[in-house]
Amino acid sequence: MSSKPTAAAAAAKPEDTKDPKTIKKVLDEDDEFEDFPAEEWEEDETEVPGGGKPNLWEESWDDDDLSEDFSKQLKEELKKVDAHKTGSS
Amino acid sequence: MESLIRAWRTAHAEENGKLLASTISLTNIDLEEFAYSTNSARVAEDIFRTLEYENNSARPKITNKTGLEAWAEVYIAYWKVAQALERHDEVEWGQVFTGMKDLTQAVIRGFQNGLWEVWQLEVLYTACKYLRYVAIRTDEAKRTNGEDTWKSLEDAARIINRAFNVCLNDRAELAQSRKWGTYYIINILFKTYFKLNAITLSKNILKALVANTTEMPDLLDFRTSDVVTFKYYCGVIAFLDENYVKAEEHLEMAYQLCHKDAQKNKELILTYLIPTKLLTRRQLPSASLLKPYPLLESLFLPLARCIKSGDLRGYDENLARGEDWFVKKRIFLTLERGRDITLRNLFRKVYLAAGESKTRIPVDHFKAAVSWKSGVEIETEEVECYLANMIYKGYVKGYISREKGMVVLSGSNAFPGTGV
Repeated sequence: MSSKPTAAAAAAKPEDTKDPKTIKKVLDEDDEFEDFPAEEWEEDETEVPGGGKPNLWEESWDDDDLSEDFSKQLKEELKKVDAHKTGSS
Repeated sequence: MESLIRAWRTAHAEENGKLLASTISLTNIDLEEFAYSTNSARVAEDIFRTLEYENNSARPKITNKTGLEAWAEVYIAYWKVAQALERHDEVEWGQVFTGMKDLTQAVIRGFQNGLWEVWQLEVLYTACKYLRYVAIRTDEAKRTNGEDTWKSLEDAARIINRAFNVCLNDRAELAQSRKWGTYYIINILFKTYFKLNAITLSKNILKALVANTTEMPDLLDFRTSDVVTFKYYCGVIAFLDENYVKAEEHLEMAYQLCHKDAQKNKELILTYLIPTKLLTRRQLPSASLLKPYPLLESLFLPLARCIKSGDLRGYDENLARGEDWFVKKRIFLTLERGRDITLRNLFRKVYLAAGESKTRIPVDHFKAAVSWKSGVEIETEEVECYLANMIYKGYVKGYISREKGMVVLSGSNAFPGTGV
C-alpha cells in the first residue's frame, strides 16, 4: 500500500474491494493459515465428507518390491563382505 | 462521511454485523472520500453530528448519548487511519498503526461497557484483523529502514489479548454471550504469536480456555472456519511440543473439516500431519494424497519411497535436499526420526529374504544390507549397535548372539506391526 490506491480499483461492494491485493500480500508473504472464503460450509464441502477415513495413507513397509532382486543383490553384497573379511584377516 | 454513517444506521436497522464491520474496514470503498471529508480540527464534531443526525432519523433510535459517544470515538480513530492511508504520497505506517490501536481499543471499550451486542462482534473481528495487518506493515517499514523491531506487532498482540478476555469472560447468557467471539479472536492471536515466535503465549491462551470450558459452548457449535483454524494451530502447538498423539488428533480433524477448495490451508495442515503420522502410526502419505500439492509431493514423496525401500542413502540425501524448508517449517527433527523406520524396513527385508521360517540370521547379512543401502562400508560393531537400537525401540523383537555372530529373531511378530 505504498502507492495510493485508485478509486477505479474499487467495485460496488462496500467491503473487500479496495486494493485487497496489497493487504493480502502481508499474509501471503508469510505462508500462514489463510482466512477461508466462507465462514460456514456444509459437510459435503469438507475435504473428508462424513468424517470417514479415506485410504490416503499407506503402511511405511512395502511388501510389493520384495522381489528376487533384493535377495539376489543382497547375496552379491554378502560376497563383498566376505571378500572384505578374507582380505583383512 | 455521510454514506459511511448511513451504512452504520442501516446495519443497525438490519442487525447486519458484516455491514457494520465494513464501516471500519480498511478495504471500504468510501475510505478515501471519508479521509477527505473533514479535517483534524473538525473531525470530532463532524462525526458526532453525523451520527446524531442518523440516530435521530432512525425509528426507533439506535442508541443514546453514551452510545453515540462510543461510536464517535471509533469513527474518529477510523478517520485518523483513513487520512494516514490516503492523504500522503507515502503511507505513514506509524500513524496508521496509532489510529488502528485507538480504533481497536475504542471497540473493546464499547463491548466492555456493555453497549454492544453479539451481532456486533464482527466489528471486533475486523478491528483486530486489521490491527494485526497494520502492525506487521509498520514493523516491516521500520525494518526496511534498518531498525530490527517487532514492537508494533507485540503491541497489537497485547490489545488483541484484551479482546480475547472481553469475549472469554462474558457472563451473559449463552445466546447473548460474547463467548461466541472467542475462537475467532484466539485464531488471530495464534497467528500473531506464531509470527512473533512466542509459542508459549499461545499455550497460555489454551490454558485460559481450559479454565473456562464449563460455560463455553462446544467447539463444534462455532463456525467451521473458526474450528478448522483453531484445530490447525492446536495441532502445530502439540507438534512442536512433541506431543504427536494430540497433534494427530487436532490435525486430522482440521484436515477432515477443511473446506475442500482451501488448497493452501490443506497444504499447511498436511505439512504437519505427514511427519506426525510417520511417528504415531508409521504411515506414509500415498501418491494420490500428495498429487494436488506439488511442493509437498516433491519433498515428501521421495522420502516416502526411500522409507519403503529401506534406502538409507536416498533418505539422507532427500532429507538434506529439503533441509532448508523442513527446518523453516520445524519438521526437520521429526523427519530425521524417519531414518529409524527406513532401517527397520531394510532389516525386515533381510529377514524376509532369508526365508520366512528362518529366525537365526547372521549379523553379516544385516551388515551387507546396511553397507549396500547406505553406500558406506560399515563395521560389524556398528551394525550391532543399529540392531540393538532397533530392538530397544521395539521395531525388532529378538536378540544378538555375539559369539555366534547371529541375530536371533522372535518366532512370531519379529517386526511388530508389519505383518511379519
